[in-house]
Order: sequence, then structure tokens, then C-alpha cells
Amino acid sequence: MDALLALSTELAGAVEQAARYVVGVNARRRFGSTGVHWRPGLIITADHTVEVDEDITVTTPDGRTLAATVAGRDPAIDIAVLRVDAGDLAVAEIATEPARVGHIVLAIGRGPRASWGLVSAIGDGRRRHPETGDWLSLDLTLYPGFSGGPLIDARGRVVGMTTSGAARHFQIAIPAGAVGRTVDELMRRGRIPRPYLGVGGQSVRLSEALRERLRTDQRSAVIVVDVQPDSPAAAAGLMVGDVIVSLGGARITEPGDLRSVLRPQQVGETVTLSVARGGDPRDVRLTVGERTRRS
Amino acid sequence: MIASAPLDFAGLADTLRRVTVAISDDGAARGSGVLWPRGHVVTNAHVVRRSRVIIGTVESDHLQAELVARSVDDDLALLRLVGIELPTARLTETAARVGSLVVAVGNPLGLRGALTAGIVHGIGPITRNGAPWIHADIRLAPGNSGGPLADVSGAVVGINAMVAGGLALAVPIARVLEFVRSAGVAPR
Repeated sequence: MDALLALSTELAGAVEQAARYVVGVNARRRFGSTGVHWRPGLIITADHTVEVDEDITVTTPDGRTLAATVAGRDPAIDIAVLRVDAGDLAVAEIATEPARVGHIVLAIGRGPRASWGLVSAIGDGRRRHPETGDWLSLDLTLYPGFSGGPLIDARGRVVGMTTSGAARHFQIAIPAGAVGRTVDELMRRGRIPRPYLGVGGQSVRLSEALRERLRTDQRSAVIVVDVQPDSPAAAAGLMVGDVIVSLGGARITEPGDLRSVLRPQQVGETVTLSVARGGDPRDVRLTVGERTRRS
Repeated sequence: MIASAPLDFAGLADTLRRVTVAISDDGAARGSGVLWPRGHVVTNAHVVRRSRVIIGTVESDHLQAELVARSVDDDLALLRLVGIELPTARLTETAARVGSLVVAVGNPLGLRGALTAGIVHGIGPITRNGAPWIHADIRLAPGNSGGPLADVSGAVVGINAMVAGGLALAVPIARVLEFVRSAGVAPR
């Protein structure tokens, strides 16, 4: 039983280690969520748990309450970054190697509270965000309030940020690498830009004939019902009635996909949209704009 | 670092099965119990509703026990074994740590001696200013009630009592000791 004892001690030690940099995030009405002190003064949490932009606080492991402001949000991968005056709050140790299927991992919630399990798969089968690295699917329970907390390995190092908000029925974690890139983007630009296309659409079913002509097996796409003047979509020549099938290689099956497939770092980049215009497939090159506060 | 020795959950299960009993009071199995202190069984109050019950061990069924004390507030009951000597469970001497491995042995849904494994999720009250409970991230079912929550050395850290929000709640061993002392039985 020595190996079991050693593992048990290692897991408890990992939780103790993580408890030094895990905070409570108080940014929604019902109950709080969890955050990770990722870099000095920057707390990351799950974007869907940040329901307000003002009067946000975080609770430190020793019970202090710190005022926090939203430094940036990336709803596409469910990350929000908060700025705090962290003082001597410990900073998370981030794992340098990615998690592997079969690794024992722990999800940590404010308190600390812990649950354990395995990395059961990498990717959710849809690969919606190929450039962010795939989500980690977890065989463990994310209890209420755990979202935004760290997924740690048996040594207490962060391998991801857990969230139950991005994919209902799935317990997932955003890999630490993707979280790090979002934080990098924030540091580089001073904010997390929000991508902007300037197009409104509705879901439309693709007929068998159209699917064949487009060489796709997807059953729905998005028909453009509105192109905002002076927008990236207008500049690219997108027209009402165009059917958008994919954007930058990612499938567009419903209007929400137009927002969720774009990454903050793609602002200013040119992407290719596959559209059907009058039943004929064509590619449209579009330079992604940045959504201002008002638009 | 983890030693190269195997993770011996099976050996741990054997150890705990020897000190875990099944309890029935009217023919149907109601729950589990822990052989402790010597000559006694601790279980949940909600498992024992009569003054005499039948207990089953790994070796024999139909052993008799009688109720000594019952506390609905703590959900604990103490039984005395009638005319038989049985092994006694070992209790933990340290406080449970969040994240440490725990196992439960019991009779979930009537399945005798079933083992499940998990970790300590947190330690705290379930009502404002209430007594602390061990919250464990472990799968339990009706029939585990009254059985042991143990660390991986086989020492009992709590008595499983209920499931809430997917978490197992166990009475910490410190409260079990108090209860047994207040019943006038030496805790050993």
C-alpha cells in the first residue's frame, strides 16, 4: 500500500500548492466562481461566470477581498482576465508539457475544494478552434463554483482552466497553452480585441444538391441577411443572400459560429470565407476588423 | 515520487471488508457499519430503527447486535455485538487533507463489500455554523450509509452518511469518538 500512500500524499500536496494561487471570483449574482493568479496582478477565470463589468472582487486564499477590474475577455474560448493589486499572492506554476490522455488530474475550486479524475480525451471531436489547441475532455466532476479554476497535475502545476460553460454535458478544460496565448495577447496590445465582421445572418439548411456542389457534408450554413455599411464584410464585397459555409477553415452552421470561430489575435488578419452565391461556390477574402465599445 | 510498487486497491479493499458489516433490521439490508470499538459496531442512526438488528460479515451472516445509543443529530448509532468476537477497525490519527485519496466500502444497492475510490473534496459544515463534515468526491449509493470512509492505509477517517449534490458526506472520526464516549463505551 506504500505506492497508494505516496500517491495520496502527492495529491494532497498538489492541492495545498494550488490553494496558494486559487482565488474566489465574485462577479455574478448567484454564487461565485474560481480564478487562477496566472501572472502577477492578472487573474484568469471563466468568461461566462463574469456577468458584471463593475464591482467585481476576488477572495484571496487567506480571506482578503480585493477589488478587480476586467482587463479583457475572450468569450470564444470562455476566458476573462481580471486585474488586481495582488500584493504577495502566489503566482501559479504552469506545466511546461501539455496534458496527455490518461493523466491523473485534479480540478480545484475556491476554498480549496478538489475533485479528481483523468484526462479522458483531447479535443471534443469537432475541432472548432484548431489554432487554440484542443480542449481537454475530463472524466471528473466540476462542482458548482469550480468554473475558472485550475486543472492541475499531481505536482500542483496548472495544465488548464476548467469550465462547464462552453460545452454543456462536457467537463472540459482550456489547455494552459491557449490560456497563456490569450494573456500574452492582452499584454502585447493592452487589451483583448474583439473581432468584428459586420454581418448578420440566419441558419439555413443546405440542400443535397448544394452540399454536393460545395463538396461538404454539413447540413446547415448561415445566410447573410444584413451587411453593415463601412464594415469588413462590406469591404470584402459580401452581399445579402450569400450563404456562408465556412470561415478560415472552420464550419459555420449557425450565426453564433461567426463570432465563436474568430480569435482575438486574428484582428487585422485576412481570412477566407467559403460562400455560396446564387448556388455557386466562391471564396471571399475578408480582413477581420475590431469591434469598438459602441459597435 | 510514486514508487514502482503497484497501487494495491485490491489489498486495501480486503483489509476494509474484514471490518465492514451489512446491517438489516427487518430482513432487508438497510446499510453498512464499521466494526469498532471492540465488541461494537458504529453506523448511521438512519440505518438502525429497531433495538435489535442482524449484521453480516465477510464470514457469516445472521449475527445479532443490539442498539446501545443513537444520535439523530450526528446521524450515528452504536450497536453491541451479542456473544461474538470480531476484528476491529483502525481509526486515523491525523486530520483529513483535501486532495488525499479515500476509499469507501459498503453495500451500495445491496452489492456486498463494494469498493469505490475518490479524494477528499473539502471539509466544512453543511449548514451555517453547523459541525464540520468530510465532503468526498467519491461515488456512493444507498447501502453505503454507515460504512467506512478510509484513507489508503486502511484507517477509517469517517462514517459515510449521505450523498448531496453528487458529493459523499461523512461524519468525521472526531465526532464519532465523542459520540462513543458519551455512550459510556471506551473508544478503542
